[in-house]
Amino acid sequence: MPNDWKIVLGILTVAVLIGLASLGRLHQRMKSLSENSHADEQARREVMAAPVATPTDVTVKAMMYWQSGQDQLAPVAVELPLSADPVERSKQVLDALIAQPTPQQHTLPSDTTVLGFYVLPDGTAVADFSDALATETPSGIASEQTAVNSIVDTLKADVPALRRLKILIHGQEVDTLAGHVDLTGFFDLNTAPSQAPIAPAQTGNIPSTVTSPSLQKTPPPTAPLHGD
Amino acid sequence: MIVLDPAHGGTDTGARGETGAIEKDLVLDYARMARAELQSEGFHVIMTRDDDSNPSYADRAAMANSYRNAIFISLHVSSTGSFGTVRTYYYEFGSAPNVPAAKTAGPTERTTSLVPWDDAQLTHVGASERLAGAIQAQLALRFSGSPASATPAAVRELRSVDAPAVAIELASVSVKDPNSLAAEAGPIAVAIARGLQSFRTAMSAGAR
Repeated sequence: MPNDWKIVLGILTVAVLIGLASLGRLHQRMKSLSENSHADEQARREVMAAPVATPTDVTVKAMMYWQSGQDQLAPVAVELPLSADPVERSKQVLDALIAQPTPQQHTLPSDTTVLGFYVLPDGTAVADFSDALATETPSGIASEQTAVNSIVDTLKADVPALRRLKILIHGQEVDTLAGHVDLTGFFDLNTAPSQAPIAPAQTGNIPSTVTSPSLQKTPPPTAPLHGD
Repeated sequence: MIVLDPAHGGTDTGARGETGAIEKDLVLDYARMARAELQSEGFHVIMTRDDDSNPSYADRAAMANSYRNAIFISLHVSSTGSFGTVRTYYYEFGSAPNVPAAKTAGPTERTTSLVPWDDAQLTHVGASERLAGAIQAQLALRFSGSPASATPAAVRELRSVDAPAVAIELASVSVKDPNSLAAEAGPIAVAIARGLQSFRTAMSAGAR
């Protein structure tokens, strides 16, 4: 073999070896980034989903609407300490709903967090969920409807003061949950809500990110707003 | 006029299965098969897309809204659910401040010719429920394990349609053999055609 060919062959061999080594490092780097991202998400969720406890907490049997078979819901009685304040009570209930005990019962992505929950004087509730609810719910009418129904049915059963629900994703009104189920309107909760007095006012106001035109049509508050 | 709506398209693939099933392609095949079946039975048919485009919700609704006496049928494949089961949905309105009680409204109760675009489906909820029931009854005969009756749901695509409108969703792209989903196009087409015949007959009888 001529010397020129040997040199070319040698260079090529070295280049291939360098390439393989780089690929290995790239793979390790991507794996590390993926693990870090997952760990960050877990840490964020743990901070955001710290258990809500209030002085008025009383342990009661709450009804959780979890999955029972394909895209079917069934109520499950769970003993939970729940606040008398509808805002805190709703957050406690939704946190418990998200922390579903088995993967088979999942209706909501486990990375979902409740970023905020507000109740207007007329009983309209506004639930603000993290992006995970939209990005990790399987796309489809049945799966999205199951997710929404689990939220609606659980709040309906456990927080009688709420009349209807608006779902926001990361503070914004969105067209659909994951491409199918309409989130531009309100979901009926208790059309004849209990007359139990709304709990004392909490600190905070409705955030500026609540931009629903329908919400803006709500009459001016006649009582203090409740929110976190 | 029957408006067949293959959901998604373009960069919006819809549900994707691990074995390669893609919702936007499957529903286009289903719509083409249904179009052929319906045309053979004398129905006039258009499709909201006949290629890999992705019209907006408003554009899809506009195609139906530009015809008198249109019927809108949206086709979907889910990412979850027991394979081979099918559900037909009709729009369910909530009680937004600007939306009157939907269930009490009917086609003859419209008091103004100005229809809010976002609530165009409101006056057709009753007819849509009957249409969904007629199609679901036919689907249940052909797809074992499917519910016997239609399901109310807030399906975004239906909201702005000023005509009876339903969405049909087959489960699911998670199937091991994607070809088995393609094989469902024929039974879906026949069920839609039989359901529409049944709905048309019932509406004609009601009008007399």
